[in-house]
Amino acid sequence: MAAAGPLRRIVVAGDGPVGLLAAAALKRSLPPCDVVVISAPTGAAAFADRSATALPFTCRLHERLGIADTALLRRAAASHRLITRYFGWGGSDSHGVAAYGAELDPAMAGAFARSWGGGQRNVSADTAPGSIAEVLADAGRYAFPLADDGGAAGAVDHAMRWNTGAYRQILSEAAAQLGIAGLAGPVVGCKLDGQGGLRSVATAADGDITADLFVDCTGPDAKLLAALREHAVIDWADRLPVRTVYLAEPGPPVLALEDRMTLLPQGWLSELAGRDGLQTTLAASRSLDPQEVRDALGAPAAEAIPIGPARAKASWLGNVVALGDAAARFEPIGGYPLDLAHRQLALLLELLPSLAFAPAERAEYNRRAALMADAVRDTIAVHYAAPAAMAVFGSQGRSAQLDRTIDQYTRRGRMPFREEAPLAGQEFCALLVALGFAPGTTTLAAARPADEAAVAAAFAVKARSVLVRTPPYAEWLAGQLSA
Amino acid sequence: MKASLHHRVRVVVLGGGTAGWMTAAGLAKLLPDHAQVTLIESEDIGIVGVGEATLPHIRAFVEKLGIDEAAFMKATHATYKLGIDFRDFGALGTSYIHPFGSFGEEVAGVGFHHWWLDQARRGKAGPLGDYSLAVAAAQANRFRPPAQDQSLASTYGYAYQFDATLFGPFMRSFGMANGVIRHEGRVVSVERSGVDGDVTALILSDGRRIEGDLFVDCSGFRSLLLGETLDESWEDWSEWLPCDRAAAMPCAHVLGAPLRPYTTATAMPAGWRWQIPLQHRMGNGYVFSSAHLSEDEACTAIAAAAEGEALADPRVLRFRAGRRRRSWSRNVVAVGLASGFLEPLESTSIYLSQMAITYLIELFPLGGHCDPRDRDEFNRLVDMEYDRVRDFLILHYHATTRSDSPFWNHVRTMQVPDSLTDKLALWRDAARIEKYSDGLFYDASWFAVYVGQGMVPQAYDKRTALADPARVGRAFDALRKAIADEVAAMPGHADFLGHEAARLASAA
Repeated sequence: MAAAGPLRRIVVAGDGPVGLLAAAALKRSLPPCDVVVISAPTGAAAFADRSATALPFTCRLHERLGIADTALLRRAAASHRLITRYFGWGGSDSHGVAAYGAELDPAMAGAFARSWGGGQRNVSADTAPGSIAEVLADAGRYAFPLADDGGAAGAVDHAMRWNTGAYRQILSEAAAQLGIAGLAGPVVGCKLDGQGGLRSVATAADGDITADLFVDCTGPDAKLLAALREHAVIDWADRLPVRTVYLAEPGPPVLALEDRMTLLPQGWLSELAGRDGLQTTLAASRSLDPQEVRDALGAPAAEAIPIGPARAKASWLGNVVALGDAAARFEPIGGYPLDLAHRQLALLLELLPSLAFAPAERAEYNRRAALMADAVRDTIAVHYAAPAAMAVFGSQGRSAQLDRTIDQYTRRGRMPFREEAPLAGQEFCALLVALGFAPGTTTLAAARPADEAAVAAAFAVKARSVLVRTPPYAEWLAGQLSA
Repeated sequence: MKASLHHRVRVVVLGGGTAGWMTAAGLAKLLPDHAQVTLIESEDIGIVGVGEATLPHIRAFVEKLGIDEAAFMKATHATYKLGIDFRDFGALGTSYIHPFGSFGEEVAGVGFHHWWLDQARRGKAGPLGDYSLAVAAAQANRFRPPAQDQSLASTYGYAYQFDATLFGPFMRSFGMANGVIRHEGRVVSVERSGVDGDVTALILSDGRRIEGDLFVDCSGFRSLLLGETLDESWEDWSEWLPCDRAAAMPCAHVLGAPLRPYTTATAMPAGWRWQIPLQHRMGNGYVFSSAHLSEDEACTAIAAAAEGEALADPRVLRFRAGRRRRSWSRNVVAVGLASGFLEPLESTSIYLSQMAITYLIELFPLGGHCDPRDRDEFNRLVDMEYDRVRDFLILHYHATTRSDSPFWNHVRTMQVPDSLTDKLALWRDAARIEKYSDGLFYDASWFAVYVGQGMVPQAYDKRTALADPARVGRAFDALRKAIADEVAAMPGHADFLGHEAARLASAA
């Protein structure tokens, strides 16, 4: 066995939420390792760092890393999202709901079934009679965990949103508590190590800073990764049409279990409910005049941010790993930018190298990180493939995988399995329906049509039972805040 | 709304072997209003039927068809299977079980196998199998169905070892009871449409003409429709999987020997031999490379190696590793050997048929017309399944230090597929396992074979160095004891089978 031990020193460049959480995660994973964060602005287009929300995965990552939900609720004005409503995507006046949570086949519940498979692939996407999450969101009721009365709770999952400044502060304190040192940035230079990686990065105050591993969380400029000769970018411009994102000043506080995505003639409008204020975002593929923006946002834009969607061909080169916006940049639909950053961070934790960097390990990271990024790109691209979105955004190129998925879902009711996807099969089905794609009938459903009335009645019973046991969200939240 | 009988798709299954009857029974049972299933078989044509050992997925098939497990096991003289014991593969004198189950658990974000490698390097780890409930139970010849929860007792699964010559007939009775129409006869010619080249009818030797909309080719290696008629090309994998013959010989059980809940695969000078314990006998066979051993030599070798009284003379089967480039072409879908073959080292034959049937049902041409997009999807899925199994099989041959025969020298030194080369480098350099969640054989399987065949990685996760070794040691001891306790509470395999038989008898 090689004598190479664990990493001794890691430098994280970029002190946005992505960099801070990465530093904390790495320090927890390698307590004796010296972890240093260099402060650096990540830029206006750093949508992962600026994100006020992510997907359910982030809640689990936070829990694993000791970032408590209650801290976010109390200090970062956090709240829970169960569903996203989609307006206009299937045609004017259309309305759909995409919920989180996938009802696990009982046969897949055991540990063996999960490690040997045989159930998760090619989810049969028979349309559910309704969504418990939607029922809860409509009623304004939620508590976590849900009182379980036999399965209903398993079908509901949540994501959170928070105040970004306060979130960053919580992460910063968590990093400090773990003994992570901060150095004043920004990074003003990089020295190559002659082996495809970096020997050091330089700041004005501290000069050259060396490390065994550099984590690039500097935002879309990817200052560290881009300094390497092998760095290359895969352009997503032909797949993702948005070129400008307009942000409004935060609106009044909104407490809701849902967020909204509306298709407008100008582009898409996202309304993210927040206890600290409603965040409204408009994304367009063409340049809009100020009046068009005002019409959509209801106010003049506070910021207009240009974007060029792309991902790094390899986000780990030499001893440099790029996370978040430094690895992939694209429009901030839902929580995808931060979700991708966090799943790639979890992948880095899983494949954490030792001092002896193994090229095969790096290749495996890059293979899986690329699958993750491309699956997110396709999940976003499916929005632009929605019937009404084509008229607004024009026709985009699509991956073979995405074409196949849409075709199989709409004709056969099948959801082909995808490795490293951001949404579970059932969640992706829900998104497709919300976007106006009508599911095809599965072969087995055609062979044995369900008794729709009975199924609907059973759902109603289940929904009532959950509603009775679940308090109003505001009431539950007040309890959490005062406990 | 029920489809009217006039619109049922006429499905013609050619071949009455395991794949044919599984397909016919599955379609007839699950799509009664959409498929009118006809099967053509000939008593003159024997079936291969070596698929005596299965994978846990078979249970889902049996269950989906609504077949009672105990009745099924009784009819096929089945036993329970917890995995495969591989002997002499990595080196002569070594042995390991590849279980239907996992090993230990991830700790502090680091996979169990890194902890085991670290303990092993310190000389503190027991044999890997001590940390797998499936392995420990198999070694103790005990069995009980797994729990359906998150406990230790849920960390394994099981499959069946059954008499393949009884499985086919069982599926035949089931299929015919569910409306499959059976024709006895030989196909002498195939009629095709002058318009689009689709197959329209099969002509039997007595002149009968069997028309269909969809033809399922289960004619075995002959691949009469897909290969001979449509000339779908064959991708040959014999450079990596050189075994192309099997000499099979059933024997009586050795009196007094325990009934093993696992299959045994023992490496031989020119291949390997199986021992598959059934209720009433022991299946034996020598899978070998005809380039390295003659058929007569193989028959002599299996007769000498097999324990127990021989119940028949060795019978030689011929095959070759590979697959058709497309398993679904025009209106012909091949299932089983007509589609491809991977030798039975990991009991994947019936699994591959089952998966093809599952995908065929999902993509079934409900209106009778085969959509090219569904064909492509079917072929993509089948290819993915074959490719993953192929690499895993090659690993068993390639990861060896054996140099005692030309066969083992060949497989040890051969160039393996690039997809496998990458996986091997990842293990060798970092003790990582290439991750995928679709297809067959995940982390635990690769880990079992890597370690079992003596592939010691050059490095593993160094976070293991940060833990207190004494604490890790105690956790290992605790896991080993919990597994031993669990096994001690299980009934013996033969006892459990007897109990099930008694339950069935009393229910009857």
